[in-house]
Amino acid sequence: MNKRYGLLAVSVTTALVLSASAWAGGDPARGQARAQMCEGCHGIADYRTAYPQVYPVPKIGEQQAAYIVKALQDYKTGVRKHLTMRGIAATLSDQDMADLAAYYAGETRK
Amino acid sequence: MSVQPKQRALAPILALALVLCASPICATLAVASDDAGKKKADEACAACHGPEGNKPNTPETPRLGGQQYGYLVQALNDYRNGTRDNPVMSAMAKPLTEKEIRELAGYFSHQQGLTTKR
Repeated sequence: MNKRYGLLAVSVTTALVLSASAWAGGDPARGQARAQMCEGCHGIADYRTAYPQVYPVPKIGEQQAAYIVKALQDYKTGVRKHLTMRGIAATLSDQDMADLAAYYAGETRK
Repeated sequence: MSVQPKQRALAPILALALVLCASPICATLAVASDDAGKKKADEACAACHGPEGNKPNTPETPRLGGQQYGYLVQALNDYRNGTRDNPVMSAMAKPLTEKEIRELAGYFSHQQGLTTKR
């Protein structure tokens, strides 16, 4: 194999492994233990945000784990702009996000 | 506090409005707009979010079935006006009218799927 393609293959594999590990390793039990910070809004049926705009918070039960991780990452990095979610996501590690996502997605520990 | 004559005259009208809203007339209107929402959803959304928004094609694509109506309206408007940015969703949301956004949100919010979990 050409050296350049070899390097490319290594980078692509590394990227795939890294992106997979961002959501594959969630522990739903740990997620449940950390979910108090979410329940105040997402655990109440038809709960509405008060600021900056008024609308119902999304339902996240049975949502896809990788989507939840992506949403939390996007809030943490500021790609998604909701202030409260940004503040909360800033306190979460990658592992916390994976754990919360596993809990809300309804995953069972393998 | 005494009830003003004007308020008394309004009472039967309000009662009638309440009865009508609980009747099949309102249900028919809701179904009609869900039909429009389903048509648009099958055309525009199902390829990625799956039928009824419940079988996304990638792990990072959200389920939409059962999602809150108001949240879906907010999300589509945010994509449409650029507040929320995603290469696919920004392009999908841009041509939608407000009516189409309400119909899509209504359709997905009436499906089974997501839950309020605690």
